[in-house]
Amino acid sequence: MEKVKNFIHHLFIPHEENNFRAKSLHTDFLTVYLVIAFLMTMVFKQGNFRNVLGFATDISADKLYQLVNEQRQKNNLPSLVLNSSLSLAAQKKAENMFQENYWSHYSPDGKTPWDFILGTGYKYEYAGENLAKNFLFSNGVVDAWMNSTAGHRENILKKEYTEVGYAIVNGILNGEQTTLVVQLFGTPLAGSFVPKLVQAEEVSAPLQILAQKTFQPKINAFNLTFNFNVIFMAFLLLALALDFYFASKFNIIRIAGKNTAHFLFIIFILMGLFISTIGTII
Amino acid sequence: MAKPVSFHLKKELKNNFFDYLLLITAGIFFLILLNIFRGQRVIEFIVLVSFAFFYIIWGVYHHIINETFHLKTVIEYILIAFIIIFLLKIIILP
Repeated sequence: MEKVKNFIHHLFIPHEENNFRAKSLHTDFLTVYLVIAFLMTMVFKQGNFRNVLGFATDISADKLYQLVNEQRQKNNLPSLVLNSSLSLAAQKKAENMFQENYWSHYSPDGKTPWDFILGTGYKYEYAGENLAKNFLFSNGVVDAWMNSTAGHRENILKKEYTEVGYAIVNGILNGEQTTLVVQLFGTPLAGSFVPKLVQAEEVSAPLQILAQKTFQPKINAFNLTFNFNVIFMAFLLLALALDFYFASKFNIIRIAGKNTAHFLFIIFILMGLFISTIGTII
Repeated sequence: MAKPVSFHLKKELKNNFFDYLLLITAGIFFLILLNIFRGQRVIEFIVLVSFAFFYIIWGVYHHIINETFHLKTVIEYILIAFIIIFLLKIIILP
């Protein structure tokens, strides 16, 4: 116990034995952090983790489905039912966006969202589409749609819609690694062929296998990395704050970088990290 | 009697008002640019790298002005900037 206490003391509090600078901020320790960060970058690049679905983002069809229905329930609207035909149409739409390289509701050769829906045999009375790209978290996508004044919120809260389908697909759009989210709404045409529906409660059961097999993350490496980054920066901030506090308290004068500047830099980076979790919607 | 930490912090900010104003302005500019280009990963990464390099230059400038310039301090700024670049690269450009 005493050893642990001494180690923490050595790590965070400037004193004679660590040359009056918290050991965790010494250049040798900073070099170790740099090597770890570099190795992590290499491991993810060489290991081709970016191609493991779910690494680039932490977005899942399940989570989107749950969050959208929560919004509808808050507004006293019935939950949407997940429809496999709409999910398939969403998947086809996303694939088409990557193939034809466009970020729009309409393809360059004139395909509309309705073409993809009708292409799966789903005949609708009402239909709608929400798109999002490069978000890092499911709740970020739903929050952006709900805060939108461009019709996304209206789509989510439209009482006429009864069914929904999702696709989350990674690919290259305009030369950039992109995660596309396609959300298609529909109300089946009365008297028309009604595709097999999946009840909300049964979502995790076999009927959603298509969505799970195609879009669900195998490894949640993204979430792990994101949390590691936040924890590491919090650790650095703590080390800087403690070092500054004790150096001020003991009136220590030494040759070192300015803790206040490092602190500000890391705070801005953390704020930037959270901004980068937000993508764009149309 | 030892002075409170807030005194040292205020003194540091007051004595280097222009330097910190410059750093904070650059930081705000960094956040505005990230917000403008959000969703465009490559540009986001370029903005991040630019801010990190600005930070290193700021460190060198600040310590030269304060006559506390030393290779060790420059290395410290470079290390912190590059740790951040590598860590965020995994998130922004996986």
